[in-house]
Amino acid sequence: MKAALFNPIRYSGSSPSGWPVAPSAYDLEIGQRSMLNGLENLRLADEIGFDWVTVAEHHYAGFSLTPNPMVLAGALTQVVKRAKIALLGPTVPILNPIRVAEEYAMLDNLTGGRIIAGLLRGTPNEYVTYNVNPAESRDRFEEALALIRRAWTEPEPFGWQGRFYQYRSIAVWPRIVQTPHPALYMSGSSQESGAMAARNRVGLGLAFTTVPLASVAAKFYREEANRLGWQPDPDQVIYRMGFHVAETDEQAMADMVESGAAKPHVGLTMANKAVLAGAMSSGYFGKAAEEQKERVAPRDAVQRIEQGQILLGSPDTVWKQIRRVRDEVGAGILDLFPIVPIADRTRCSIELFGAKLLPRLHEN
Amino acid sequence: MTEQSTVSAFVERKVEAGGFTIRYLEAGRKSDDSAPVICIHGAGGLRLSPMHEMLAKTHRIVAFETPGFGASPANERSRDMAELAGSLCAAVAALGITSYNLMGTSFGGKLATHMALQDGEKVQSLVLLSPAVFRPSERPPMGTPEERRKVMHAHPERFPLASANPEVDSKQEALVRRLIGPPRDAELEQKLPGLAVPTLAVFGSEDRLTPPDMARFYRQHYGNAHLMLIYDAAHLVDLDRPEAVTEVVGDFLARKERFLVSEQSGVIHP
Repeated sequence: MKAALFNPIRYSGSSPSGWPVAPSAYDLEIGQRSMLNGLENLRLADEIGFDWVTVAEHHYAGFSLTPNPMVLAGALTQVVKRAKIALLGPTVPILNPIRVAEEYAMLDNLTGGRIIAGLLRGTPNEYVTYNVNPAESRDRFEEALALIRRAWTEPEPFGWQGRFYQYRSIAVWPRIVQTPHPALYMSGSSQESGAMAARNRVGLGLAFTTVPLASVAAKFYREEANRLGWQPDPDQVIYRMGFHVAETDEQAMADMVESGAAKPHVGLTMANKAVLAGAMSSGYFGKAAEEQKERVAPRDAVQRIEQGQILLGSPDTVWKQIRRVRDEVGAGILDLFPIVPIADRTRCSIELFGAKLLPRLHEN
Repeated sequence: MTEQSTVSAFVERKVEAGGFTIRYLEAGRKSDDSAPVICIHGAGGLRLSPMHEMLAKTHRIVAFETPGFGASPANERSRDMAELAGSLCAAVAALGITSYNLMGTSFGGKLATHMALQDGEKVQSLVLLSPAVFRPSERPPMGTPEERRKVMHAHPERFPLASANPEVDSKQEALVRRLIGPPRDAELEQKLPGLAVPTLAVFGSEDRLTPPDMARFYRQHYGNAHLMLIYDAAHLVDLDRPEAVTEVVGDFLARKERFLVSEQSGVIHP
């Protein structure tokens, strides 16, 4: 197995709940420190042997200060010397796909081909950000995926007459370094997305879900791929979850309680009832919408451990939790984000994970 | 010339040229300042699509039936593509047309390329739809109607190809087999760099007969080619996504290379 450290660059001060959050709640000093701490954690993860470092796109709230993960990845190219830099990823349907292809190509050149290219639909609230209809999200996504692949691999200038995208001439410089292009992933918790990942032969990312739901989704994806004549390898399934490791189980839980992270928290889309209602009626979550909504239902720390949403405890306890994800989901990549927003505890947790868990993980 | 109405805006006529009686369908404004569009069909024979109907609103369209196709007698006289192209150039001249745009589909893309080489400056622009000048060495299976449908269409539910007449089909296939030449035609390739006419080569992203990976050869060999991929369309791009094809082809016919620069307004409200 491999491990990635995902850092959404959470705003470390207090910020009001809801979405969007008023910019007036942003304290400049705290915000800047949050960003530098995040960068330092990712640098540290590279130094102590994490296989990937991960960044993602979210807007308009303290949950994540990386509305453009490509910008953060640009900074990471200068401090992350060994690990792959995974973008999981840009919210493609609300962006200009050619711009996404170009930015990936720049990053791939800056890292000598160490970029992992996630292409995501994102959370439904992001469609408010750039005023895009979430009902068209899947169709926009699938077209953008085909377009980005072509833009990376076509040696001559070409035009594109799509349903959602139209370009008279495309010729991406710099060229992408990896052949034929970086490993591609998309999120695939619903059957619709799992089927799309299988027919486009891209890897599957499972995030903000539960182990039981992720197991079903991963199985469906593999079966679809087999039906279409190919077999995803273990590295083509990523499972994202929170983590906090301390010397003892008690200390780990005490850190959670002290930071306030043990309480149930409400996700970005759920934080705005109107956005959630709009997303539900748009068909964003696919046919099994209620089940998909259940993935992100607020849960306390104990429930989150039970559901396999977080790794929490001593190294030995966490190792057991990791084995469950490996055995039940079959994920080859664990994409782990810190859940205790206290800078020195997070650092200790990352270091402990590196010392006690990475060697075991790499053997399995 | 004879004349007969069809169900569409198109009218059927005939013209004598190169010793052949050549049937053609015509529509659109004759008084227009812009040069007419001469259409050369593919190996399946003369057919009209919604693209032709839409283009006829702004252009005079003349769609020839190549000698040896449809109800015309088997063509055993044309010795090669260049000679067949010469007969079609003669038909254009017989209609009194001295300046024109040329559109060729698939097999007709190769034929139109030969016409453009022969008619030189008369040709204002060249549009190639799923052209068969450069082809992969292997063809996808097309033995059964189902296999054929899958190769031709990504969206057969939109404008399915009319069912074939086996007798006409076998006559046409024999002619195409005799004339089309190898997947890479060295003799023709030598002449292509000199073809200065603005050329638009259009490919369906799902085409397996003339796949989009072939597009780059047009850019590399033709003197002045632009490539355009039609997303989610197979070989019959103008039946799978006629609106998308018509928009870009119409723009290219109107503005030639300047079609690269958008003239669409980005103003949301004044």
